[in-house]
Amino acid sequence: MENLYVAATPSSPEVNFDFSLHQLSIRGESYPENAAAFYSDIIKSLRDYLAVCDDCTITVDIALAYFNSSSTKMLFNMFEAFNDAQSAGNHITVNWYHDEEDDTILEFGQELSDDFPELNFIDHAVESA
Amino acid sequence: MTTHHIVNDQLAFCDIARKHRVIFYYVGYFSQNIVAAMADAIKLQLEVSGVNGPTRRKLFSSFIEMAQNIIHYSVDSLTPGDQENHEIRHGSVCISEKDGQYILLCANPIDTKAADDLRERLESLRGMTMDEIKRAYKESLRAEVPEGSKGAGLGFLTMARDACEPLEFEFWPMDQRPHVAMFYLKAAI
Repeated sequence: MENLYVAATPSSPEVNFDFSLHQLSIRGESYPENAAAFYSDIIKSLRDYLAVCDDCTITVDIALAYFNSSSTKMLFNMFEAFNDAQSAGNHITVNWYHDEEDDTILEFGQELSDDFPELNFIDHAVESA
Repeated sequence: MTTHHIVNDQLAFCDIARKHRVIFYYVGYFSQNIVAAMADAIKLQLEVSGVNGPTRRKLFSSFIEMAQNIIHYSVDSLTPGDQENHEIRHGSVCISEKDGQYILLCANPIDTKAADDLRERLESLRGMTMDEIKRAYKESLRAEVPEGSKGAGLGFLTMARDACEPLEFEFWPMDQRPHVAMFYLKAAI
């Protein structure tokens, strides 16, 4: 499967899904004009990749400085895909990065972790620049 | 001699802005690029003014939600109605400070039919406690995206959750345009 790479813009994140190495990352800011349109293709690719994963060890790095309400919803949908793959016998570790002072992103991470307890979810508070 | 009229006119305007402690004001067209640029300006302004981290984040978040609502829902559109991307629509946003709180105010014209639905949602939000807002937020996160919504309906819940008082809103009919109302939304952070 071809790897997925979407370059960052001032209002949308870099999406770097290296399917061959099972390393997926999303970094930057997320407030695209239409989050559903931005993320639905990405989630589709992700699901296609996860569908053929069997007993794989996958690392997901998410480092978003900000995400708007519609991105939040799409991220939640993405995690449902991760959770399904975990239930299907894969081993997914999510590294959730956020500014140490950002309670909103910390709390959303906790929600994801609570809602999808089978995922290996690791919170990383990053020192403010 | 007209030497001082320009300065005097300018001073009168600046005086009002200063009196109302306006930090940012924009009236005009909103597009994704314009909003991203304003976001940068506001981020910088708040950092330089020494506003604390959590407040800066909430202000930024509510500003983006308000600005993107204008892009999606204002009826004054430069781009054709059926164009779903790279939209450009008219509205205004004002950020000011009052009694230690930051006030975000936005305005844009909307369809009167949409206004009814909006009024209902916002009124129900006003009646919620913070716990109820947080619960409604979690439910909305897990629900299907509502029809006609480009943002899953989470925008107002996000703003309400970050605000220090219930969101305030008004609808003003526009005489010359019977199917349009001016929608005002105010958030205090």
